[in-house]
Amino acid sequence: MADVEIKTLTMNFGPQHPAAHGVLRLVIEMDGEIVERCDPHIGLLHRGTEKLIEYKSYLQAVPYFDRLDYVSPMNQEHAYALAVEKLLGITVPERGQYIRVLFSEVTRILNHLLNVTTFAMDVGALTPPLWGFEQRELLMEFYEGVSGARMHAAYFRPGGVHQDLPDGMLDAMERWTVQFYPFLKDIENLLNDNRIFRQRTVDIGVVSKEQALDWAFSGPMIRACGLPWDLRKSQPYDVYDRMDFDIPIGKTGDCFARYLVRVEEMYQSARIMEQCIKALRTVKGAVRIDDRKIAPPRRAEMKGSMEALIHHFKLYTEGYKVPAGETYTAVEAPKGEFAVYLVSDGTNKPYRCKIRAPGFPHLQALDMMTRGHQLADMSANIGSLDIVFGEIDR
Amino acid sequence: MGVVTPARSNLVNPAADAALSRALNDELADKGFVVAQLDKLVNWARSGSLWGLTFGLACCGVEMIHCWMSRYDLDRFGVAPMPSPRSADVMIVAGTLTNKMAPALRKVYDQMAEPRYVISMGSCANGGGYYHYSYSVVRGCDRVVPVDIYVPGCPPTAEALLYGVLQLQKKVRRVGTLVR
Amino acid sequence: MEPINELGEHIARASGAADAAYVRLGELMLETTPDKIIALLTFLRDDPKCLFKQLVDVSGVDWPEREKRFDVVYNLLSLVHNQRVRVKVATDEATPVPSAAPVFSSATWFERETYDLYGVWFADHPDLRRILTDYGFEGHPLRKDFPLTGFVEVRWDDVQKRVIYEPVKLAQEFRKFDFLSPWEGGVERVLPGDEKATKAS
Repeated sequence: MADVEIKTLTMNFGPQHPAAHGVLRLVIEMDGEIVERCDPHIGLLHRGTEKLIEYKSYLQAVPYFDRLDYVSPMNQEHAYALAVEKLLGITVPERGQYIRVLFSEVTRILNHLLNVTTFAMDVGALTPPLWGFEQRELLMEFYEGVSGARMHAAYFRPGGVHQDLPDGMLDAMERWTVQFYPFLKDIENLLNDNRIFRQRTVDIGVVSKEQALDWAFSGPMIRACGLPWDLRKSQPYDVYDRMDFDIPIGKTGDCFARYLVRVEEMYQSARIMEQCIKALRTVKGAVRIDDRKIAPPRRAEMKGSMEALIHHFKLYTEGYKVPAGETYTAVEAPKGEFAVYLVSDGTNKPYRCKIRAPGFPHLQALDMMTRGHQLADMSANIGSLDIVFGEIDR
Repeated sequence: MGVVTPARSNLVNPAADAALSRALNDELADKGFVVAQLDKLVNWARSGSLWGLTFGLACCGVEMIHCWMSRYDLDRFGVAPMPSPRSADVMIVAGTLTNKMAPALRKVYDQMAEPRYVISMGSCANGGGYYHYSYSVVRGCDRVVPVDIYVPGCPPTAEALLYGVLQLQKKVRRVGTLVR
Repeated sequence: MEPINELGEHIARASGAADAAYVRLGELMLETTPDKIIALLTFLRDDPKCLFKQLVDVSGVDWPEREKRFDVVYNLLSLVHNQRVRVKVATDEATPVPSAAPVFSSATWFERETYDLYGVWFADHPDLRRILTDYGFEGHPLRKDFPLTGFVEVRWDDVQKRVIYEPVKLAQEFRKFDFLSPWEGGVERVLPGDEKATKAS
């Protein structure tokens, strides 16, 4: 029998696909069921955020950061707020810093809950999302309590947070953390020793330490490869240096390790939340800096003081001028290193605001990770990358 | 928090409903068939099983998932998530529609079978919203597909989407006939 | 001397590829030229005092009034020394910058993005295509002379049965306010109605 020449098949995946976590389009070259090469086409959610920010004042640009990675809004506001504060040369009052750390961890749990549960859904389990999303609803109530919005809070502003926690919020959070640990145990019971889940994730998409460095991995992706790197520990911002928490690392660098790292991070986040709640009961005072040129006056003050009214008007129309300079400020967002490269030219609008999204290099490495895998492993890999297109496409 | 169900809504009268279903059951047991007006029957079936195409583009997609999950449970209105456009009745455009995505959105819409409905969810899909002046955003998904229901908000809460779906059911009942 | 300044001097001295090294706001910055960038990046990656193993970001900045209008900014991170460094290369539309993809794999997409948004050309790039903007997009949107709303918008055309591109028509222009105070910048600015006064003087 003559040799049969096998031609590779080119397959289009997306942009509207339930396992694509948004609007990913992949052009995959396949040899039978085996992926030979995949070319991710991104930009299907490119909204021109960076351009729009150049046309808005520093305060008006804050909500764009919510809408980047819409699963972890407050962490990105945090990066932006820190960058602006660095250029302005101001520090946030202690209580404000604790509130920020508290809500950063709330956001981390929100993000990991969505990722872990939908990852389980991608590989065939429907129960985890049904359970996990109820916890997300409870956390979103905290969001709603402080900012009035369930998702896009615009709560962290340069100079602090927008307003203090409402009465009873700390008690509610404490009750929530108490019930969260058993819930997380339930999720682990569902998935850790689940045969299907293990078969779909163990030894799939293995990334070595060298590859993780070369491809600029960060966050749970780099920790799953065995590199203990967390910006909250190594370059602490706000009051993270006062928190007691552990950095989980994976051993194998595969999809299952990434899942385990994320689950363990949720336990640690809940621990940080508990410490913040405890600290916030004693640390009193302002939640944003007392500088009328940067932070608006209180509503009650505006009713009586003409000067306060003028300050309010100036802040919400013109905004504040930021001294010329540039900074690259990074935070440990749930997905990895989220950074803002902010260039100011001394006016009230950012001259350039480059958003460094952690998902961007992760998705870039998808080609490297999936080569030689089956097509069905593609969705497991995409799920474990924890990609959200708002931040990748910007 | 959550959806508060009043014990007795003034729209639904449980006593009358029970009487109606008893009468229907009796008739069915007696004759073996039930007579109904065909268009009403079709409308009942249509509005009761609006399978939704999950077109989660951006932030609103997360709220859409929340609407389908345990707390709000859109399934109880017969709106089941449907990844394939061929078997879907209503497309929920959840999120910012960009120029690059517009042809794909229209293609998916064209693949849906008649009668088809579109819910535009969130201010970006309604009219560009926060990204209205961007060089790469379609200023409203109604420039590409005809829209039946607009749900405002950025993002609309899951409850708001639920309300939008109920409005669509109302619309289907009112205008939906055999000839469209 | 601060360790970060020491590191800057060490790089400037030992690499032979950095034109300037300085510290601003506690962040180390290096400047170089396109022909030396690969040598500098390789040095930063391999030198035992640097070990910047991760290229975390590449971005562009547009300064239209400069002769070399673009800055290509590389942000590197060293996990071993817990240190960041920023490398800047000035270039223009015509001068290509050698691609950093052979040194860091992660540069591939970052450079594609910079090319897409600014039109900076990267020489010997393995796959220099547009990445974020629309298929068939014209122009480079993050240049300062590119209008915010762009040039085209899309619409479904019922006659042609396809999505078509049209020139932008806005119902309401983007409102841009001038916040330069007439009192602060009054020397060279002519206020409306004051033209005669300036002419006379």
